[in-house]
Amino acid sequence: MSTIVEIKDLVKYYQAGESIVKAVDHTSLQIERGKFTAIVGRSGSGKSTLLHLMGGLDRPDSGKVLIEDNDIYAWKGDRLAAFRRKKIGFIFQDFNLIPSLNVWENVVLPLGLDGRKVKEAEVMDILERIGLADKKNAMPNTLSGGQKQRTAIARALAAAPAIILADEPTGNLDSRTELEVMSLLKNCVKEFGQTLVMITHDETIAQMADVVIVIEDGKVVSQS
Amino acid sequence: MKMVSRIAFANMKYHKSKNILTGVAIFLTTLLLFLIPTIGANLIDGQFAMVNELYPTWHALYRNVDSETASKLAAHHDIERSGLRSDAGVMAVSDAAIALMYLDEEGFEMYKMELTEGKLPEQENEIVVSEGILQELGQTGEIGDTIKIPYQIYRDSGLDFSEEREFVISGFVTDGESSDQERTYSAFISKAFLEAEVPREQILYRFLFQVSDAESATTDEIEARIEGVAEQFGIAENNVRINTEYLGANYVDPSIVPIMACIMLIIVFAGIITIYSIYYVSMGERIQEFGKLKAIGATRRQLHRIVLGEGFAVALFAVPAGLLVGTVASRYVFMGLLDLYGGDNIMVTTMTQLLKEGRFALYYWWIYVLAIGVTLITVYLSLLRPMQIAAKVPEIEAMRYRADQEDEGKHSYEMQRIAARSVGKCSRNRRGYQDITIDRLAKIYLLGNRKKSLITICSVAMTGIFLMVVATVLACANPEESANNSVLGQYEITPIVEYSNKEHPERAWNKLQQNNPLTEELKAQLETVEGVTHVESFSEIHVTSEVFGGDKEGILGVPERFWDVLENGIVKGSVTYEELKAGDTVIIDENLLYWYPEIAIGDTLHVTVEDGEQSYEKELEVAAIGSYPIGFTNYSYLIMVKEGVDGLGSCNLNYYYHVFASENYDPEVERQLEEVIASSELLQMRSWQESYETWKSGMAMTNGGCYAFLGILSVICVMNLINTMMNSVQVRRKEIGMMQAIGMSEHQLIRLLELEGLIYTAGALLLSLGVGSALGYPVFLWAKKNGIFSISQYHYPVTAAVLISVVLLLIQLVLAFALGRSVRKESLIDRVRFSE
Repeated sequence: MSTIVEIKDLVKYYQAGESIVKAVDHTSLQIERGKFTAIVGRSGSGKSTLLHLMGGLDRPDSGKVLIEDNDIYAWKGDRLAAFRRKKIGFIFQDFNLIPSLNVWENVVLPLGLDGRKVKEAEVMDILERIGLADKKNAMPNTLSGGQKQRTAIARALAAAPAIILADEPTGNLDSRTELEVMSLLKNCVKEFGQTLVMITHDETIAQMADVVIVIEDGKVVSQS
Repeated sequence: MKMVSRIAFANMKYHKSKNILTGVAIFLTTLLLFLIPTIGANLIDGQFAMVNELYPTWHALYRNVDSETASKLAAHHDIERSGLRSDAGVMAVSDAAIALMYLDEEGFEMYKMELTEGKLPEQENEIVVSEGILQELGQTGEIGDTIKIPYQIYRDSGLDFSEEREFVISGFVTDGESSDQERTYSAFISKAFLEAEVPREQILYRFLFQVSDAESATTDEIEARIEGVAEQFGIAENNVRINTEYLGANYVDPSIVPIMACIMLIIVFAGIITIYSIYYVSMGERIQEFGKLKAIGATRRQLHRIVLGEGFAVALFAVPAGLLVGTVASRYVFMGLLDLYGGDNIMVTTMTQLLKEGRFALYYWWIYVLAIGVTLITVYLSLLRPMQIAAKVPEIEAMRYRADQEDEGKHSYEMQRIAARSVGKCSRNRRGYQDITIDRLAKIYLLGNRKKSLITICSVAMTGIFLMVVATVLACANPEESANNSVLGQYEITPIVEYSNKEHPERAWNKLQQNNPLTEELKAQLETVEGVTHVESFSEIHVTSEVFGGDKEGILGVPERFWDVLENGIVKGSVTYEELKAGDTVIIDENLLYWYPEIAIGDTLHVTVEDGEQSYEKELEVAAIGSYPIGFTNYSYLIMVKEGVDGLGSCNLNYYYHVFASENYDPEVERQLEEVIASSELLQMRSWQESYETWKSGMAMTNGGCYAFLGILSVICVMNLINTMMNSVQVRRKEIGMMQAIGMSEHQLIRLLELEGLIYTAGALLLSLGVGSALGYPVFLWAKKNGIFSISQYHYPVTAAVLISVVLLLIQLVLAFALGRSVRKESLIDRVRFSE
């Protein structure tokens, strides 16, 4: 297996009042291509910050994030945005759908931003797989939590990114829907040959992962 | 501090960015509410001070009043103070006009005349003169010196033969600036002289007076009393002259109040829309916050007070700032206006002088109170709706609600309605686009927020429409065009026509036409002047008729070259060149109908034609009614073609030589023309340039004021656009962050914001230019009909339209760029996480 993400001595500190929070503290790790990696840790352990830095949403104080051997923080602005929309898909805990767009438009948005032509059959196939084919014209405010998260998953899958970063995607869902969404996500990623990196503090979900990385006080304490 | 006030104050600090926007809107509203009435009042007060400085103080005068009636009038209970004036004659000097006038002591004071030395004349041979008069007479003298004066007395309805006698100078008056420029003076003679020279039964006075108890009356009431007294004494309407300028300057003119109120209402309305839209847009963000407050026991009343308190807390900073800037700016704007339009304008120069002398105030306490009061009312009205929304929020649902959250499915209908109103999400399903592009994203957002988009477009357009309407009138009010309407060609040469002057009987038109100086030779001579392109000759013959109450009317003869103008000016009826050439048919100017409304097309006018020494009866058929510029008709209300008029008389009927030159003004051409006409004492000339200067100075102040007002109003208009675009970014911080997280580049974001702004701008421009242009035309017609600025031709306000378009487009482009860049300041992850 090859490495898709390599993090080298990454540091991100925050100022919180008079004290400094070491959200990511000289962390290094590697994520293998095609694997489902779970990052676990307590609240405030720095796992979300690590994921955001991995996705180019934030900028580190020092260190490097290499995705497919590209140092993403060597780029700025539009170049980084272009890389992100081609290579990375995001799934957030609170879905983050665009409220004024319907399900279909939310799903094809990354393709549109990338200037790619939408292949209707492919997108329809994804929607059918995640069970939202009949909801393609629905507005986000009419969907249940599970349906929203499936839409967010479909959006992440539609652009066929190499890596999907998921920030507690089941955190806002009930336990039944949680399992549904997780198995869907895992299957899709496997089927499309993508790498999934997911943050969770749920032991059950972590057990579904191929690799589990434990974070504490901004540092990797174990990787198995 | 009470808890409610504390929350309101804390809210103000917490929602800093929104409250800065609100603060700017309140600041601008205060500034406008202060600036406009202050500058308006400055202009009015300055004008009033100038009027009081330059104009006589009589409220009205009655002309042609005999001595007995004057005595009775003076005793009338409606008349508090009165004086007498009688024009005894003129001094017989060439080139200057020097009136010999009798003014009693009261009249002298009411005309604001002041003796620099000496006393008013009492003896028959006493006279008050000025240095200018002595110069015109070619004499010198001091008080008590004797001077010889040639004069003509008004007797038997005209100027009698010239006489000469010696006068003793009893006093001196100063010459005004206009006296020197126009060589027009007044010398004051005694009553004894008047009675000795003019037969008693022919002495007619101008009865000058002030109305009693005028202090508490309006100008309308004063005018009604003036007209009432005239009616009681059988004084004809045309013998009453009301000093409207003086009345307007010293008493309340009820017509000003609605105009000022209207302007203030426009500002208040614009202010309400701006402040309201800021709160309206941000309300969605605040729903959860209000829900929490209700859940812990805040009553509706307390929520009202929190929203109101927050608004007024912002006003606490914004209003004083607006007043402070307004105080400084009003002085600069007013002084700037005076500087800009000063120059040779005597009125503006006088106003500037009076301001320096502190004769009128620049600031008024009541405007401060008014601006504060109206701004606070505006803030209150703007907050009414947000207060209602805040009070309606159901507690539990509101606590769950987040403006940017999608699960409104769980909320009640009421909740969804409020949320949808605030952030524009309302439909359940929408057939979407197959592909998403930046253009489509912009369209979807704006359509999804129809109400907000419409409010923005309409509020920006409202000021835009107003701008276009006013700009239309101002575009039509062009001094160049008014001059074109006043003078045909660049110079107009006419004979000096004068009736009932025994010294110059040859100046009566029926005599003059027999020895008319407007000859073909003169015309040829004028055409040889370099710079003159051609000379057009218009003729005129005078007729009397019972229809005109025995008054003389002129029939104007228009040369064939101007047949198009004549034909195009016809507003009713029709006539051919040949018919007019025959001399039996006339076009009447529509202004004649004001005096003689009974005249209609098809009527036959029985007139007596004055042909040299002869006169004869003739019937003229009214074939059409026309509307023509004054410079074309020169107040001749009966019009034919030149050949027709020339055929009615046996003499040379050339009355106007309109000289057309290659340039509107060339001093060398003017000098040469003056030289040519100097060959005859009977010729006079007026120029396009004189008329242009008069119109220019007359329009300057009004235009300046209007443009200043429009400029400030534009700031509100632009403010609305800025506010909406800033809000649309502020409210969608998370949404935009989300789109950036999934790959939207900065360029794409700026493009998205540009497109949204462009749609606002295009909508606002379409409405402003469309409705503004459509409304501008009827307003132009109204202004034309009411003689405002003497406008006659419609001009589309191209400059204003281009300016509005360019400014709006530029602002929205710059704003989109600035907003797009500003989004970078906050980290992407902070925005994605954002929920206020």
